Amino acid sequence: MTELQEDRDVRTEGLQVATRHPVPKGEPILELRALQKKYGLVEALKPASLTFLSGEIHAIVGENGAGKSTLIKLLTGVIKRTSGEIFWCGKPVQLGTPQEAIERGINAVHQEVVLCAHLTVAANMFLGDEINRNGLMRKRAMTDAAQRVLDDLGFNLPAGAVLGSLTIGQQQLVATARAAMRGTQFLIFDEPTAYLTRQESAQLFRLIRRLQAEGVTIVYISHRMEEVFELADRVSVLRDGTHVGTRRIGETNEAELIALMINRTIEQIYHKEHFPPGEVIVETRNLSGPGFQDVSLTVRAGEIVGLYGLIGAGRSEFALGLYGRHRPSAGEVYWQGRKVEIASERIAMDLGIALAPESRRDQGLCLNLPIGLNINLPVFNRLTRGLTINGQQERENADRQIRDLKIKTPSRRVLASAMSGGNQQKIVIGKWLSHGAKLFIFDEPTVGVDVGTKAEIYRLFARLLEKGAGIILISSYLPEVYELADRLHVFRRGRLVASHDYRAASHEEVLTQAIGV
Amino acid sequence: MSAETVESGASAAPRKGVSILFGLTLLGLLLFLWLLLGFATNSFWTPNNISNLLRQGAMTAILAVGQTFVIITAGIDLSVGAVVGFTSVIVAWLLAAGVPLWAAIILTLAFGVLIGAFHAFGIVRMGLPPFIITLATLTSLRGIGLLITNGSTISITNEAFTNFSRADFLGVPSLFWMVIVVAIPAYIFLHLSRFGRYLFAVGSNSEAARLSGVNVHRTIYLAYILSSTCAAFVGLLLASRIGIGNATQAEGWELQAIASSVIGGTSLFGAVGSVHGPLLGAFILATINNGANLLNVNSFWQRIITGALIIVIVYFDQLRRRSAR
Repeated sequence: MTELQEDRDVRTEGLQVATRHPVPKGEPILELRALQKKYGLVEALKPASLTFLSGEIHAIVGENGAGKSTLIKLLTGVIKRTSGEIFWCGKPVQLGTPQEAIERGINAVHQEVVLCAHLTVAANMFLGDEINRNGLMRKRAMTDAAQRVLDDLGFNLPAGAVLGSLTIGQQQLVATARAAMRGTQFLIFDEPTAYLTRQESAQLFRLIRRLQAEGVTIVYISHRMEEVFELADRVSVLRDGTHVGTRRIGETNEAELIALMINRTIEQIYHKEHFPPGEVIVETRNLSGPGFQDVSLTVRAGEIVGLYGLIGAGRSEFALGLYGRHRPSAGEVYWQGRKVEIASERIAMDLGIALAPESRRDQGLCLNLPIGLNINLPVFNRLTRGLTINGQQERENADRQIRDLKIKTPSRRVLASAMSGGNQQKIVIGKWLSHGAKLFIFDEPTVGVDVGTKAEIYRLFARLLEKGAGIILISSYLPEVYELADRLHVFRRGRLVASHDYRAASHEEVLTQAIGV
Repeated sequence: MSAETVESGASAAPRKGVSILFGLTLLGLLLFLWLLLGFATNSFWTPNNISNLLRQGAMTAILAVGQTFVIITAGIDLSVGAVVGFTSVIVAWLLAAGVPLWAAIILTLAFGVLIGAFHAFGIVRMGLPPFIITLATLTSLRGIGLLITNGSTISITNEAFTNFSRADFLGVPSLFWMVIVVAIPAYIFLHLSRFGRYLFAVGSNSEAARLSGVNVHRTIYLAYILSSTCAAFVGLLLASRIGIGNATQAEGWELQAIASSVIGGTSLFGAVGSVHGPLLGAFILATINNGANLLNVNSFWQRIITGALIIVIVYFDQLRRRSAR
């Protein structure tokens, strides 16, 4: 790191050399005492006490929604804690703003690169801390200094290249280098290898080990067990916003960690009714498209087919392909035994497919329009008499869904954005109930939905099945698909990797298949 | 999390009520201006001046209605002023070439349809931002018009055509009747037909609209074709009023149309708008211009007042929306 020190010496201002080793190796550098974060009434992080030791690599594992990102945001000053205390080098600190975190030497490398794609690699590395002389930037000096850092780290990257021209993985390395040269003492990696190639991952691991040797404390968040065991000294497990344990890496194994991750206290009731499976509604044969490959599955009347996998595993992409949003590139779809080409959403709807998409905000609702308009959107062609819409039918149709689904609103004219997550989901569902369908695809239907509404949605599934519909249920929340699906398919990296009958496999087995350890 | 606790729905005012309230406020503002000018000047409430005012406002009003359709889809049509100038040339050219009046009118409107379709093609198929494609046609159409006329004007000798804009029907200028001829179908289209709902849905969230089976591309074609056709219609009216075809006419009218629409409560972010709002907005602007002339206010001040009015009205509209959330 002498190179880095020299680089800093050429600066005339903005100099901030933090002393390394503020506390001896192995002593607590950052301590959380009963740290808690609430969003409204939702407890995203239940009071957690955790100690990070100076110079260690501390892995954090947990399912989606377990509270990992909340923890990172608290540590990097992005959000403020609700209660609890944070001790940095033995002294209580606020960590109320990102600036404060950075000044203390706490940095994070995010999964999504948050740098300026249109600037050069060097400009990004020096962003906010440029080398100046007489108020003018010294581009050449910065490019040279950045190049030395990159070479020194063993990254084969040109400092003069525009960041956007690099792969996501290379950009991630740049982000890491940027953090490394800023006197960071505490560096958080949030699923850094999600987009990296094997070679890039190896480079990153070398860098992490090197930073550790220099005394930097590393927090490493990952889904991938093999990485945790390769890198970490200790590992902490989060589950449903609770810190459930910390283990030394030598004293634990994958099975124990997975058990800790999913052994939740389930108080929700998964309402499940079994119906005799009827005729095949839809069958895909080796269907491929953007984000999914070679998926073959069938859905029968009266059954729930669960698609489980991590986010980005290709489940939603498959659903959008089946729904005609993205054109499949290969494979066939058979609808009630007849081969069909689903070239548009309209064709899918007319066949009898309904999709409650993954993101209510981006795909599901017109948020700044009234609830009534949202509910009626798929059926305006039916409500039209001659040139105009039959206003009475329009009102009745909206009001019926609001009543049947118990959407808590004073009027159908209230904007959808004024509703809570649960009620918004009900509006999306109401849309498709009023349209009617034979196959309902629910993509993450209970994300951000309160427990009471969850139970209502599960009971609604049973009602749909009873009427002879089939359901595809997509979820990243294992208990949900596990308890509800008559047949459970596991997706990993765009492929269907395993299938199980109702409760035929253990949670551990399914999670293992999804993660791919 | 219990659903009731996070609900702010109870405090959100029902949408339709607010829209009517806003419309009434604009109407009140318009009447207030009329009363004020009635007291301040002797000449405002003369039949001549009122006719003049209605004629002045009519053309902007029709442009503003078409513009509103586009803005509701979260787009913008910068070309309407150029389309007015261009189509005035087209109709004059056709009439000079001996094309019968009815055919000239239909052909001119067809040009409007084509221009709108071209805009939508650029947006939907070429992926160009609406601002860019309509900015490009704004420049190009003026150029084409100037090429056709070789930089000069084409006189219109057809008296039936030129008399139309000066005629009155039931004591009201025919140009103002044209506003009604446009506004009634526009109202039915936007507020009573499903295509109007689709415009709002596309402007609010085109992905959600698409996944709900709305043909988003067709909806965008519809919006831009309607806007350009309204502009072509105004081009006919303008040619009738000034008796010539001239490609440089209607300079800056696109901004008048956008201003009228925005004063009338249309949100440039899309999904908010009406037909009556831009009509009132256009006549408020026309009244300010007319009143300023009567009061001998420096015409430069008219521009300043118009700008200030846009800021004030849109600011209050924003406040209202925020408190309604």
